Amino acid sequence: MSANLPACVIDNGTGYTKLGYAGNSEPQFIIPSAIAVKDKVASSNAAALRWNTGGGARIDDLDFFIGDDALSPSAANYSVKYPIRHGIVEDWDLMERYWEQCIFKYLRAEPEDHYFLLTEPPLNTPENREYTAEIMFESFNVPGLYIAVQAVLALTASWQTRAANERTLTGLVIDSGDGVTHCIPVADGYVIGSCIKHIPIAGRDITYFIQSILRERESNIPAEQSHEVAKAIKERYCYVCPDVMKEFVKYDTDPAKWLRTYNGINNLTKAPFTVDVGYERFLGPEIFFHPEFANPEFTTPISEIVDNLIQQCPIDVRRGLYENIVLSGGSTMFKDFARKMQRDVKRLSDARLALSETLSGGRLKPKPIDVQVISHKMQRYAVWFGGSMLASTPDFYQVSHTKAQYMEHGPSICRYNRIFGALT
Amino acid sequence: MILLEQNNRIIVELLELKFGNAKEGGKPEAVNVNFADFDGVLYHLSNPENDRTRIWLSISLKFFAELQQHGADALLRREYGKYLLDQPERGYNVTLEFDLNNLPENTPQMIAKASALKRNCFASVFEKYFEFQEAGEEGQKRAVVNYREDETMYLEAKADRVTVIFSTVFKDPDDVILGKVFLQEFREGRKASQTAPAVLYSLGEPPLELKNQPGARVGDNVGYITFVLFPRHTNKKTRDNTIDLIHSFRDYLHYHIKCSKVYLHTRMRAKTNDFLKVLNRARPEIKGEKKTFSGRTFQSP
Repeated sequence: MSANLPACVIDNGTGYTKLGYAGNSEPQFIIPSAIAVKDKVASSNAAALRWNTGGGARIDDLDFFIGDDALSPSAANYSVKYPIRHGIVEDWDLMERYWEQCIFKYLRAEPEDHYFLLTEPPLNTPENREYTAEIMFESFNVPGLYIAVQAVLALTASWQTRAANERTLTGLVIDSGDGVTHCIPVADGYVIGSCIKHIPIAGRDITYFIQSILRERESNIPAEQSHEVAKAIKERYCYVCPDVMKEFVKYDTDPAKWLRTYNGINNLTKAPFTVDVGYERFLGPEIFFHPEFANPEFTTPISEIVDNLIQQCPIDVRRGLYENIVLSGGSTMFKDFARKMQRDVKRLSDARLALSETLSGGRLKPKPIDVQVISHKMQRYAVWFGGSMLASTPDFYQVSHTKAQYMEHGPSICRYNRIFGALT
Repeated sequence: MILLEQNNRIIVELLELKFGNAKEGGKPEAVNVNFADFDGVLYHLSNPENDRTRIWLSISLKFFAELQQHGADALLRREYGKYLLDQPERGYNVTLEFDLNNLPENTPQMIAKASALKRNCFASVFEKYFEFQEAGEEGQKRAVVNYREDETMYLEAKADRVTVIFSTVFKDPDDVILGKVFLQEFREGRKASQTAPAVLYSLGEPPLELKNQPGARVGDNVGYITFVLFPRHTNKKTRDNTIDLIHSFRDYLHYHIKCSKVYLHTRMRAKTNDFLKVLNRARPEIKGEKKTFSGRTFQSP
């Protein structure tokens, strides 16, 4: 039966979980990775776990909410927990129950009929993969399971913009979400773990930065809505400019063309208000390239970090990494982000090549490095989309671990998930 | 969540988004989504002929031909009226069409109806036999619906009751036991509520009602669940609720078997943690000379 039913793709992130059926271009649900439980069902308290003690006819282990419901007023008497921290599952009890509702309430899939593709962050421990496999095969009886690395899925998501013979699994993934930005080098589908870099600048910092600019200038934003307004302005109007100084001049000479107005409604009084949107349109995303605007302790631009990171990688993959810098995550969606990134990295690498040429006294003529930053439509949910694409290919059913294999060898088979899809 | 929800959330969210956008006068965007539901049901939500102002919602059920014998078409016509297409999309059994330029008055009600598409496909067979029972017609042929590849539902009407029998297959040997315990509890639950229908459960071979039924499966991992519905469940007022609950019973059962396993795992993890604590306490203290910073040793007692 599982052959003609689509596979389920679940991407559990720290903040949000993306879930849906394979073959679609967007996840069907994007819900917070939050679960609201009654406090007394703490796993340490054995007495509270006994069936229906004192609770009458209620069943405590089914009494919980996930996703948006967990944050809604109906879950007011529950305590909200996030089972995933820094991308890694911390609380398996909660995670198991989270998946239970993901499957039965949101996807409405009989897990015995569908293959599953789950994701994991780079540097996840093999033990965690085993726990995941145990839960999926033992509790839910799934017929097949594949655990993919998020960065690799982001790479596959970029394939749709390229010719079929250029589909490579070597590349540098810049994944920028709300909390943190990761730069992850991948060579032939394997993450180079020692070279991963984290940048403490991401979507939330841009929002705070815009908020602080607005606070100084715009007085008619209700204080309790200022974060919301800043976020909306960021998502609607911000873009990346090639040169900050020129951009300032542009705005000053022809304000009518560049200034925007944001219309909001006060949540409490329902009175409308307007906000002028000016320089923050390009200054917001600029903190990726000039972090000192927002964070005095961190001053390295993202392009420099990317260049340094590639230089630290093994020499034989460096060209491949330069040629395939892939963006993923909502905070890379700004217009022309890819173009500026490409230009800056190219500048750095060209400067290095020129230096080595002069140092050698003109005897060495290095082959120029082709820098390409890939931007595509599916960037926001790139990881999920990559999973959806892979899980709808026939190869997926070949490389997935099946229930029979699990029963034969045990959970350890899920430590290794074969790379597939690329032309090798 | 003790009971499974009846409607499909994906349909609700997609249609709310599309209808809401159309109402606010936004530009319609292309949509093409494939998704599934319990019992191997497949949905397809798309724009026909690339016309973004029209939306098709198609459903494919493997056993639709069997439902048609019991008047599924008439029921769908009654429920969906003009939204039902005469000729369903290729490869699907039923197609509903919505025109974004011509939305129904009461969109939330329409969305609720559309999201219950699978339930309404199922409902016909139940309604037919409930009618038989009400009219006191006996001796009607037993309805057989192969709602999954290896699982079947049988319906039979008598003058005073309707019998619904499900056969279900447990893929995992543990599920057989959990299912048995769960259904025993279910039978016990009847004592608390006098109005609940009678439930019988037999494992391995079909119940006596199906003695002469060809094709009834026999095997260690096959279970049969029999519901005896009395007029109090099948009368016009409570009928809809009964159908809601009974058509998804098989999924309900399997959902709870899985929940029970999740619960067992929670207990197992808690117990392991307790044992680990005991083991850690029992670890012998490492004997050896302890020295202070200046190099002096402690006197051993």
